Amino acid sequence: MSAPEKQPVDLYKLSEIAEGPHSFKQNPNRLRPPARRYKPARQVIGDEQKYLQTKENIKFDTPTWFSVAAPPSLVPQKHYCDITGLRGKYKNPANSLRFHNVEIYQEIIKNMPPGVDQEYLELRGANVILK
Amino acid sequence: MAPTKVKTEEPELPPQKVHLLRDVVPPTDLDPIYSNYQTGVPIALDIGCSSFKIGLTNSPEPHNIFPSVAARYRDRKALKTLTLAGKDVYRDSLVRSSIKTPFDGPLVTNWDYMEVLLDYSLAHLGVVGDNGRLNNPLILTEPVGVPFSQRKNMYEILFEAYQAPKVTFGIDSLFSFYANSTSSTASGLVIGTGHESTHVIPVLHGKGILSQTKRIDFGGHQAEQFLGKLLSLKYPYFPSKLNAHHTSNLFRDFCYVSKDYQEEIDHILDMDKLEEADIIVQAPVEINVGTEKKKSEEELARQAAKRREQGKRLQEQAQQKRLEKLIQKQEEWDYYSKFREESEKLNKSELQARLETDGFDDLADFNKYMSGLEKSLKKAHDQDIGEGDNHEVDPASAWPLLDTPDDQLTEEQIKEKRKQRLHKANYDARERSKELKRQQEEEKAQYEREQQEWREKDLEDWCNVKRIHLAGLISKYKESIKLLESFKDRKSAAAQQRMKNIADLANDESGSTSAASRKRRRNANSTIDNDPNDTFGANDDDWAVYRDISNQKIEEELGETNQEILSLEEELLKFDPNFHHEDTFAASQTFDWRNSVLHKFIHGPRQNITIAMQAEGINPDEIDNHPEIIRKNHQIHVNVERIRVPEILFQPHIAGLDQAGISEISSDLLNRSFGSSFYEGGDSLNLIRDVFVTGGLAHLPNFTTRVTNDFTSFLPVGAPIRVRTARDPIGDSWRGMQKWASSEECENSYISKADYEEYGPEYIKEHGLGNVSLR
Repeated sequence: MSAPEKQPVDLYKLSEIAEGPHSFKQNPNRLRPPARRYKPARQVIGDEQKYLQTKENIKFDTPTWFSVAAPPSLVPQKHYCDITGLRGKYKNPANSLRFHNVEIYQEIIKNMPPGVDQEYLELRGANVILK
Repeated sequence: MAPTKVKTEEPELPPQKVHLLRDVVPPTDLDPIYSNYQTGVPIALDIGCSSFKIGLTNSPEPHNIFPSVAARYRDRKALKTLTLAGKDVYRDSLVRSSIKTPFDGPLVTNWDYMEVLLDYSLAHLGVVGDNGRLNNPLILTEPVGVPFSQRKNMYEILFEAYQAPKVTFGIDSLFSFYANSTSSTASGLVIGTGHESTHVIPVLHGKGILSQTKRIDFGGHQAEQFLGKLLSLKYPYFPSKLNAHHTSNLFRDFCYVSKDYQEEIDHILDMDKLEEADIIVQAPVEINVGTEKKKSEEELARQAAKRREQGKRLQEQAQQKRLEKLIQKQEEWDYYSKFREESEKLNKSELQARLETDGFDDLADFNKYMSGLEKSLKKAHDQDIGEGDNHEVDPASAWPLLDTPDDQLTEEQIKEKRKQRLHKANYDARERSKELKRQQEEEKAQYEREQQEWREKDLEDWCNVKRIHLAGLISKYKESIKLLESFKDRKSAAAQQRMKNIADLANDESGSTSAASRKRRRNANSTIDNDPNDTFGANDDDWAVYRDISNQKIEEELGETNQEILSLEEELLKFDPNFHHEDTFAASQTFDWRNSVLHKFIHGPRQNITIAMQAEGINPDEIDNHPEIIRKNHQIHVNVERIRVPEILFQPHIAGLDQAGISEISSDLLNRSFGSSFYEGGDSLNLIRDVFVTGGLAHLPNFTTRVTNDFTSFLPVGAPIRVRTARDPIGDSWRGMQKWASSEECENSYISKADYEEYGPEYIKEHGLGNVSLR
């Protein structure tokens, strides 16, 4: 969708605001650490784990990135239909998709193109991941 | 609905409201630049994964709120790279395609972009550094238990690039709570729902208890993505793709927290509930109406008449030809039958000579030809019975020549006699078939009479017997359907058995199988494809084997059973007072969309008009091009999803997260970690007296009601629970920072540049609204 711009905007001017130079950012001695540029979150978290292992005063309840993560649920899981989200009383033994009633099974699950079942399972993290 | 003997018409339903699918709207105004800049006033930056809220603390409101995105775009003409941030990225469609966020999940991963966004923030605050530095203290937000490298990188930018005098960090939800509390020592349970994660943080006497804090890795962003995936699976053939802005808007506009999920999903697809719950969203679509002119009625009628005329002419021609052939054949037969009579008197060699002059090989060949001739004559007679002239003839006087011997007749008369014989044969056959029909009718009438008597004598018994018979037929019908169905599945027992039968059949087909297979074994090079002994197909009848093993027989049976069911039901409808139209097999088999969960899930509480039009027998091309159908094909029905997505906060396993939900975490916290201290002055009591919901998802309707309901279920009876949302769930964390900036606590928790240089990036000063030091 490209809505017509109301007034012509000078993108260069806008760019200057973000890019600078800024009067508040004039440190000639600033060092650019080379390694900091881009790290995916997974790696950042991995580094944090290593970092925490070097700390001696970490106790079980010290609030770190890992200790504040919510624990697994202890209440029995309720089952829901993978297709509609209604109660999922039944399970297809072939691909373990849950379904609400026979109609869902007959119309959707039986005629499912290959691979779609995995997409449904992926929603609840139950898909098969080949490594 | 009362049972009826006739089909009922469905009542009309009023049309539903249609919402339009909303895309991103480019902001019309630029982010303003602050004119009230003062050196030394603390600057508060609420750095959220979805938006930045920034401002100098000399103002009560955040000055700028903009999405935390940036874009780099190379202008090839000017050979210049443009860097745009915040709202500006939506200004140009080319730039819009390269939008990026510095965040990956809840963490900052692209520090270049983060720096761009900070530059952009400070520039819009009108910051002027007369000594090349930033001369204001900074208050920033960070996640709970932030990884060390994150803070280190942030310190680096703040102290190295801007050379800020002093900096402090806090947690956004706690700032929001601070802004919404009257005293700085308030207690409460903070539920902070963010863009990437949701936190449950207990606050006692103004201090966040981070050791008891829990984080669910699910926030608004995940919810929107989940909704997008659900909808793309629900409508796999949807013509246009939903982008992130579409799903985001759908989520914000229509999702709500269910007050009682288990109860609500059981009834959300009931017709009356669905009427309210179902939302139609229309994706933009262009419809061209009426490109082709339809042919008029008259023209169609004329065409049909012309076709009929042609057909008639052809039929007449064919009949003419058939008659000519028939006469010729009849003549031939007459000639050869006379020849056969004569041939009995001849001896062998004479006969052979006669046969050869007439073009036959031998007597067998001749007999074969004769039998063929007879057969075709008989067939022709049978065929003409139906269409022959129907005027009455008197069998006694119509064919006078037949009884006269040939030798008394002239040439002309013999010919006439032949014709008469043909006619007589026709007449006889017609009479026979008439007689047969009459007999059948009599039998039928007899049967009707018997039935009638039976009914008069004992209607109940009659009904029972008929019903039992009907039930038997129906179950037979279903069995056959099942059998046919199971043939489709290659692995089913029925299909396997059938394959076995076919294999057996192929084996005994030729009596010489054992010899042939032995031969085949001897000839190692021959396979099933090039076996010289395989003569299958040489005779056309060989192919009949495929007809034998096809499922046609079952299908034919199916049709017969269906006919029987229909006629039986007709009788029952007529005579059984308790048998109604609803009880018929057809009625139970017809698709009633009101009872179809799937139909209501996908098409909402109105009948899918494609199905309706197909039922009316409109041709498929017309259906596809019907403007209403095209419009419907671009519509999404959001119903179960409206509650299914927000429910993940309470049951994260729905989205495959192996974590406890908000209520379970809180229950654990109040009943176990704080020891169920619901007496006056106890921690648990203090917490439940102020359950505080903040963050973007607090905008979802019914959030507080649901939290109240869930909490009530695990709290002691009569516990004084109070749940509230922030006045402004998104902006209040900034207001909390602004309020906090003037407190003594804030003053004491700044890290100065000197501290940073002396103690390194690990050093922080702990305070009630921030993370703890791990040093």
